[in-house]
Amino acid sequence: MISIVPRFLKGIYWPVVFLTILLTALGIITIYSASFRGGGDYASKQLIWFLMGLCIFLMTISVGYRSFLNLSYIFYVITIALLLWVLILGEARSGAQRWIMLGSFAVQPSEFSKIATILMLANFLSNRSALQHQKRTLIACLILVGLPAILVLKQPDLGSALVFTPVMLAMIFLWGMKIRYFIFLFLTGTASMPFLWHVLKPYQQKRLLVFINPSIDPIGASYTAIQSKIAVGSGGLLGKGWLQGTQTQLDFVPEHHTDFIFSVIGEEFGFLGAIFLLLLFGLLIVYAFRIVNHTTDFRARLLALGIAMAFSFQIFVNIGMTIGMAPITGLPLPFISYGGSALVANFFAFGLLVSIYKERSIF
Amino acid sequence: MKTALRLKALQIGMLSGLIILGVGLFETQVIRGGHYRKASEQNRIRLIRLEAPRGNILDRSGNLIATSRPAYNVYAIPEDFDPRDIPNLSQLLDLPENQIRFRISQARFASFTPVLLKQDVSKEMAMQIEEHRPDLAGVFIQIGMIRTYPQGEVAAHIVGYIGKISREEFATLDPSVYHYDAWIGRSGIERVFDSYLRGEDGGRQLEVNARGAPIRLLGEVDPRPGSDLHLTLDTKLEARLRPLVVNKRSAVLVLDLKSGGLLAAVSTPGFDPNVFVTPGRSSERLSLIGSKERPLLDRSLNGLYPPGSIFKLVTAVAALETGTITPHTTFECPGYFRFGPKSRPFKCWFSEGHGRVDLYTALERSCNVYFYNVGRLLGEKRLADYARKLGFGSQVPFELPTADGLVPDAEWKKNIRHDKWYQGETITLAIGQSYLLVSPLQILRLVAAIATDGRVFQPKLVKDDFVSIKADKKFSVRPETFKALRQGMLQVVASDKGTGQLARLNFTKLAAKTGTAQAPPGEAHAWFGGFFPYDDPEIAMIVFVERGKSGGITSGQIAKKVAHIYHDLYSPAVS
Repeated sequence: MISIVPRFLKGIYWPVVFLTILLTALGIITIYSASFRGGGDYASKQLIWFLMGLCIFLMTISVGYRSFLNLSYIFYVITIALLLWVLILGEARSGAQRWIMLGSFAVQPSEFSKIATILMLANFLSNRSALQHQKRTLIACLILVGLPAILVLKQPDLGSALVFTPVMLAMIFLWGMKIRYFIFLFLTGTASMPFLWHVLKPYQQKRLLVFINPSIDPIGASYTAIQSKIAVGSGGLLGKGWLQGTQTQLDFVPEHHTDFIFSVIGEEFGFLGAIFLLLLFGLLIVYAFRIVNHTTDFRARLLALGIAMAFSFQIFVNIGMTIGMAPITGLPLPFISYGGSALVANFFAFGLLVSIYKERSIF
Repeated sequence: MKTALRLKALQIGMLSGLIILGVGLFETQVIRGGHYRKASEQNRIRLIRLEAPRGNILDRSGNLIATSRPAYNVYAIPEDFDPRDIPNLSQLLDLPENQIRFRISQARFASFTPVLLKQDVSKEMAMQIEEHRPDLAGVFIQIGMIRTYPQGEVAAHIVGYIGKISREEFATLDPSVYHYDAWIGRSGIERVFDSYLRGEDGGRQLEVNARGAPIRLLGEVDPRPGSDLHLTLDTKLEARLRPLVVNKRSAVLVLDLKSGGLLAAVSTPGFDPNVFVTPGRSSERLSLIGSKERPLLDRSLNGLYPPGSIFKLVTAVAALETGTITPHTTFECPGYFRFGPKSRPFKCWFSEGHGRVDLYTALERSCNVYFYNVGRLLGEKRLADYARKLGFGSQVPFELPTADGLVPDAEWKKNIRHDKWYQGETITLAIGQSYLLVSPLQILRLVAAIATDGRVFQPKLVKDDFVSIKADKKFSVRPETFKALRQGMLQVVASDKGTGQLARLNFTKLAAKTGTAQAPPGEAHAWFGGFFPYDDPEIAMIVFVERGKSGGITSGQIAKKVAHIYHDLYSPAVS
């Protein structure tokens, strides 16, 4: 028993472990500030989710990423089934069907479908040579990614659905897809914009229009955009201090414990706090790439890259939307936003990364 | 090598995303930080929702059935409100202090959204509040619209009413359309056409001072008023029809055969829809909902009853269409019917027997034995198939949801009742008993089709063109069949032995069929379905009285008065 523990700990990539825990702790502190007046005790709930995430983290590391890759087909099918289930029977909250109730826990399958799709793509791409069948591979990838993305978009969860696109692009890029196919994708994507526009719900269209021109809807969608920008900006260099943000505490910014959590950080911890957070995120990305470079297993490389891409895209869109650099799409900030499914899924993803590092020498 | 290069590119891409964010944050927080700090300190922007006026509902000649009237509503913004003002405010509003406290605490999660304290206060009270406003921070009066139904019970079942959305609905509906205190159509036209009637709410962005008083209008989006809806109903007609059936449980339907529009859909007992929209009438609301008489049920569209003899029309259509009989086929009625010499007799309502009768006479006198014979020849399957073809057992395609009813056959009985179908059930089905359930609207459809050779078979309710209901398949019935039925129905009223003779009119020829449907325990239901003038039908009508004992007597007499009232209103002094 005693000899197992050191063996398990051997080869753990500690910086990633520390960083994820530090980020979650920062998140819980911010969630407390965002929600202590309104009730709901989100900080304690997030703490419980954090402990659960840690368990998943350790379990993932001890099982090893290879088993997950080998079973990726099953995970993929299960998450697709869950997404369908959510669409048909899901618990509706604020007009969207995203949750499945497991006892008193609300589980959001879209969070897990991201990772399942990354696992699936990594496994699929590594089995195919980039020297041939490029066209067929591209079509297969589009179908594999399109299916969960459309189901998530149907919920409707535009933000989570968007994540799938950069993840797929990054992974096929690394796999060795020829540049002309990216040009082709770009052109067809642009050409189908008008069609995609009609797939969106009216309120989603409004949010995108507001991003282009904030004066369109001063009392609706752009109210949020303006108020969150005021929140972040008013934090200045040093911030107003923990629990002192007026924009947050007076409910000017909606959803500030979930999607708009960064406006709390920006307001209460200022530019220095925000940059500190960005640095932590940047370090995580750097470490993720270090892990990619460390392993010789191509499947693992694809997997780690997909996770890094999903992660950085979410950071960019989430922080970007609070300062008007990205349209408002409901996406959580990894490790920081309140939300159990997202936190557990993030720990699962980074558990996979750590396990890739740990098992790099096994051939 | 290529992989390494691509990896490098991806890493640079992701990190530069973060750098761009950093630059953006520097711009927002450091360079423009002072500006935003000031904005947040002066952030006293309040959002006031401007509710869109709900569209009116009018009858065919433009009389208002549902409209909105101005009402003074008292609001408070919780964040600006000073709890020390509660005693004062409680006195002014004549509202208990804990009520005020409760309402304000309810909106704790959106403390800048105004909460409604009291709705529809008198003008005097509104003036008093205005006078005391300097002492009451965060309290203000806004003129809102309140739904009102000026004609009370008239057309109430059709038009329906609105209600406040529930917490569950708020959680599931689009919050940009339905705010947390919104009204929503609860029944009838108000419910089905809610999105059309409600329009789109606007809003006002106000800057307020430290006491919560508005100082500047920052932005405004005008509400888009809901659209009006014009119905085919004639409320004047209905207002005169209602007294005929007051204190009864009944339904009267009048259909304009020229336009296919429903003129009246009376259902009694009725209710006053204002009860649902007027604050302070909640006890009346509860007694309406709990009443054993079920006043909220629209008996004309959703009441389901056995049709009795009026269903013989369907049996006749099936028999004529399948060639089972011709109008001249005769059967002997000794007052009863037996399958074999030893089986039990099924009685005719006239125990002495009608003698040898053809189809016309059988309809005229509503001879059961004739239709027992026809039913036996047809069989349960063909009979049920024809009933379904004529729209029974399924919803009538209509602007409002309607009851579907039940057409039984052997298969249904096996699947649902797990029992065998008996021969005796076939012949009772033929006279409209058995498990059969129909709504007055379904019978109206049949009568209208008979009157117009199948031209009018789908009643409508909304005049406006934008409403298109799914057109149903036309009944595939030969004109000769309809003609034979019209002849029989004429005799029902015109003959001195006809069951509907009490409805005979002195100004024109009315054709009809009566029904007295057994529904033990209790008295029989009274049906009467007819049309007039016989030669060029203008009107089809159904009179149904729950437990009315006799179709020919109870409903027939009412039907006659209905025809007279219609004549009064629509053909003044043609003589």
